[in-house]
Amino acid sequence: MTAVMQARGLSKRFGGLQAVKALDLDLYAGRLLGVIGPNGAGKSTAINLLTGHIRPTSGRVVVDGADLTGAKPWRVAHAGVARTFQIVKPFRGMTVLDNVTVAAMFTGQRHTVHASRQAAMETLDRVGLAGAARLSPTELSVADARRLELAKALALRPRVLLLDEVLAGLRPGEIDPALALIDSLRRDGLALMMVEHVIHAITAVADEVLVLHHGEVLTRGEPATVLSDERVIEAYLGSRFAKRAKEELR
Amino acid sequence: MSTVDAPAPPRTTTVVPAVAPWWRRSAPWVLLAAGTLGGIALQTQLYTAQERVVGTVFMFVALATAWNLIGGFTGYPWFGQVGFFGLGAYVTALCMYHLHLSFWLSLVLSGLVAGLFAAFVGVPLLRLKGHYFAIATLGVAEGLREVVLNLPRATGGGGGLTIPTLGPDAPTRWLGNDGFYILFLLIAAAVVAVALAVSRSRAGYALRAVNQDEEAAAAMGINTTRTKTLAFTLAATLTGVVGSAQAFRIQAIYPDPSFDTSITELAVIMVMIGGAGTVLGPILGAIAVQYMSEWLRENYTNAHTFILGALIIVTVVLLPQGFVNYLGDAVKTRRFSLLDNVRRYRL
Repeated sequence: MTAVMQARGLSKRFGGLQAVKALDLDLYAGRLLGVIGPNGAGKSTAINLLTGHIRPTSGRVVVDGADLTGAKPWRVAHAGVARTFQIVKPFRGMTVLDNVTVAAMFTGQRHTVHASRQAAMETLDRVGLAGAARLSPTELSVADARRLELAKALALRPRVLLLDEVLAGLRPGEIDPALALIDSLRRDGLALMMVEHVIHAITAVADEVLVLHHGEVLTRGEPATVLSDERVIEAYLGSRFAKRAKEELR
Repeated sequence: MSTVDAPAPPRTTTVVPAVAPWWRRSAPWVLLAAGTLGGIALQTQLYTAQERVVGTVFMFVALATAWNLIGGFTGYPWFGQVGFFGLGAYVTALCMYHLHLSFWLSLVLSGLVAGLFAAFVGVPLLRLKGHYFAIATLGVAEGLREVVLNLPRATGGGGGLTIPTLGPDAPTRWLGNDGFYILFLLIAAAVVAVALAVSRSRAGYALRAVNQDEEAAAAMGINTTRTKTLAFTLAATLTGVVGSAQAFRIQAIYPDPSFDTSITELAVIMVMIGGAGTVLGPILGAIAVQYMSEWLRENYTNAHTFILGALIIVTVVLLPQGFVNYLGDAVKTRRFSLLDNVRRYRL
């Protein structure tokens, strides 16, 4: 199986800060890569590097064999890579429907306003927001705002979807439906990458987990194996607490 | 833990048609045609001085609507509009004075030159945002005036240039007050038609998206650089055309009045009061401000600028989003109180 999206040796340095260092990753159709790591580990920067919102200092990004290193975000979007933002970015002055219409309109092929609005309506229906089409995004709950963010990404009809903390701020009861939706996207054959803080959510849906720490890959592999790795616990809790936690577990 | 939370009640899904019915989509075009015909009908009721005043209103409708393309829809505060107005005026003057080209050809050339110049300076300028963009474009306008002042052989420098409009030397005869009234009416109608077409097209969606979140717009596949540059070029082209017509109307043109910053300021005020990012807003704003200004000048000759300034301040405080946007908000929320409106915008 060949990867839809590949990154090799992806690095970004902000002045004296090495935000991401030599990151390799492969995203496959129908598989979900979970990316975890403490705050400031470089997770969001990694997404920004993949989508062209930040130019990498070095390394390569390849989508379907085409080199998209340093390409502008819209070119990456046209290549079939969609993303969500950690802090939701709705177009506040537009209705929910118009928000998604914009995404459906500029996929790289030409779509008329008419066709885009209809496609947007279908996408809203899929994420369960059809009833809110005429509302302003400012009237949505946190969960619905996240749904809108997802709908905008899906309206691009992507083959790769990069999710930046789509579960943040959701109540426990809202997480399961969101995970079910993500799982259905994977079964549709999307290549997914999910940056997340809710660890049990990652273990529920990820096929592979990658742990970032100080911009470097700490470890990667099966979710269960990775999460019991001592180095991962240490990265999250610090060495002193990690030792104590281990003793208490014993 | 998810068992504790009751399942969310099913959403009451009302079926929303994705596309508005045809009569709602064509209503603005019908209104535009009716307005243009109304303008022609109005002419029969006006005497010459009034004709000139209303012609100037049409000019500002065109300028404010052009400004709105980049300043309103796209959200880039363009404080250099008059630079392109003056550029259009001087291109027409130079073409008619030196090259003896007809006014109509000069009009087209003025639009083209203003547009090309905008595309050229737009690429670096549109990398700036907010205040920085405002100041940089203001600088471009001031710079253009200095260029005109310092090329006395071509432009006449501070001594100005008089377009030949009568006699055998004139490439095109002056159009007369009646003619200019119709010319400015048609230019205003054409500029509004362009704004209307843009507002409902894919480009309109792209501009609004760039305005509201440029980063998100780029992630949605919108080429933000191209979108902004196109809007800027279009706005400048239309502005250049207006400048060209105005130059022919006043015949004798000078650098200072042609590049007068208060022309930009008036257009900005008209858009802000009428409602930025709407098609109707700049039209209403231009009519209201220009009418008010004339009325005050006639009735309160000594204090007219003072009163106009105060009125503008009060309007901006009470209607920070502009009249048309306020009306939209108020109808949607069924709250018409102006104080509520001020509170909503946290002023």
